[in-house]
Amino acid sequence: MKTPLLQLKNVTMAFGGLVAVNDLSFDVFENEIVGLIGPNGAGKTTVFNCITQFYKDYQGSISFGVPPVDLKTIPVTEVIDQGLVRTFQNIELIPDMSVLDNLLIGAHRQFKSHLLDELLRTKKARQEEARLTAKALDLLTLLKIDHLKDFYVKGQPYGILKKIEIARTLMSDPQLIILDEPAAGLNDQETDDLEALIGQIKKKYPLTILLIEHDMGFVMKLCDRVCAINFGKFLAMDTPSKIQKNPLVQEAYLGKED
Amino acid sequence: MAKIYDALTAFFKGHPYRNFLLTGALLMLIPLFHGLGILGSGTLGIWGYILIITVVALGLNILLGFSGLISLGTAGFVGAGALGTGVFISLGLPFELAALLSIFIAGLVGALIGFLSLKVEGLYLAIATLFVGEILRQIYTQVEIFGGQMLQIGAVELFGFWTLSSNPPNERRLLFVLIVFILIGMMVLMYHLTQSKTGRALLAMSRSESAAQAMGIVILKYRLVAFVTATVFAAVGGVMYALYFQNVPTTAWTLDLSLFIIAMVVVGGFKSIYGTLLGAFVIHGIPNLLLKEFFGDVSYIFSGVLIISVILYYPYGAIQVFYDAKKAIMTFMAKRKRGNA
Repeated sequence: MKTPLLQLKNVTMAFGGLVAVNDLSFDVFENEIVGLIGPNGAGKTTVFNCITQFYKDYQGSISFGVPPVDLKTIPVTEVIDQGLVRTFQNIELIPDMSVLDNLLIGAHRQFKSHLLDELLRTKKARQEEARLTAKALDLLTLLKIDHLKDFYVKGQPYGILKKIEIARTLMSDPQLIILDEPAAGLNDQETDDLEALIGQIKKKYPLTILLIEHDMGFVMKLCDRVCAINFGKFLAMDTPSKIQKNPLVQEAYLGKED
Repeated sequence: MAKIYDALTAFFKGHPYRNFLLTGALLMLIPLFHGLGILGSGTLGIWGYILIITVVALGLNILLGFSGLISLGTAGFVGAGALGTGVFISLGLPFELAALLSIFIAGLVGALIGFLSLKVEGLYLAIATLFVGEILRQIYTQVEIFGGQMLQIGAVELFGFWTLSSNPPNERRLLFVLIVFILIGMMVLMYHLTQSKTGRALLAMSRSESAAQAMGIVILKYRLVAFVTATVFAAVGGVMYALYFQNVPTTAWTLDLSLFIIAMVVVGGFKSIYGTLLGAFVIHGIPNLLLKEFFGDVSYIFSGVLIISVILYYPYGAIQVFYDAKKAIMTFMAKRKRGNA
């Protein structure tokens, strides 16, 4: 059997008495798009925060990569070096910075020049800046927002912000990107655009994607497999069409028939 | 007219260094006018002080404007640069070594505050830095080595052969020119720093700590960078003070001064290099150069009102005045063009 790229084994995360994630296990394989669904408060974002090591005091194990690395041993700021990078539910971009500079933040770890190189703007620093700027411009062109590169992020429409945040994750040449509700707050047109965009990105980069989403149409069309959870507990993991027919999942969303 | 304007903007947009050169050239007019007898010695001194305090405020702008951190101890570090240089010179060290040593020591203390900033946030950090400044002030006034009221440095020997004293007017002008060079150098350094990985990381850290961490920005490292840079800039300002005035008071490095430097950053404009220079001019220059002549002792009332109005109408800094002016000129010329056609 193939080894998974991301593997969660019996992960439990409790805040005081509240168990947000309860003994959750699932695998994500290379090149897949996996959706994580569940009703509000099911613990989806908590799972993401555990994977990306924002929460460290979970039980169980989360391993990533080939060969697998136990992510718990990695500080939160070094997770990105493993090829694992995320977006946020409430877009976390830098408002008073240009779109281009926001992308360059995603490449932070690829800048190797030291403070002194930067202060004196040595040849090394200039070349590095030029190389990564070109990379950012390529991405902006792919996303068709290159005309906005010098504008502040502040004041851009929501759909653009979502695109910028996805572009920022791609700057680090990731293996797996984790998207926290990429379609939330988008209108139908923008959602369709985003779907096409993710397809395009997948074609161009060898990526694995794990996403949380409430828009079921979006999840069903885009994902290869879907993992459903409720109250932090695993319900089912299967192809979208089978998940839709799963009685446990239907019960979680619609309630039980008497 | 429009052609000249276009050519000028094209020239200055061509390379940012040209702006720094122009600023330097404009500031060189001050000693020139002094030499021609248009400006008095007092005015030269006030301008010297403005340029020196601009360097300090630039450092604070990195801390306040980019990293979103606060320090109420800035004056203490200016004092460290100025008095440290004086003390090391009196111990027999050459000027350059004395300057480097005092900047280095100030930077070390800055790093300590950086560690402190991980433990305390916001108002608590402000109070902590307030007392760092207070400790430094007490040291300067109480410890004998700093000379009591005033530390006399006397003529400074540069590079081991070039002695400049602040008394004869021609040497004073040369010292002013040196100050301008240091200021422009510090402006360029700040420009490089803020337009690079470090500047972006500082901004990311202050605007969204979680995004910064997810992108691999280590908060401790950049808090240290922010505080060390700010204290080093402050100490460089102090060294410039020692070089230019050559008499350093021990009692001047108070909370008052720290607050005025914060005001320069706020009034001039966060994150703006030229805004900081403008802020220093508005806070220190306008009351001392313009208003004092007309209003005498009550000039501070007017400067206070002026500063409050700037904050009210230009919350993003007085530097916005220039952008507004530029916009006005553009629309005026566009109108004229349409009128001609």
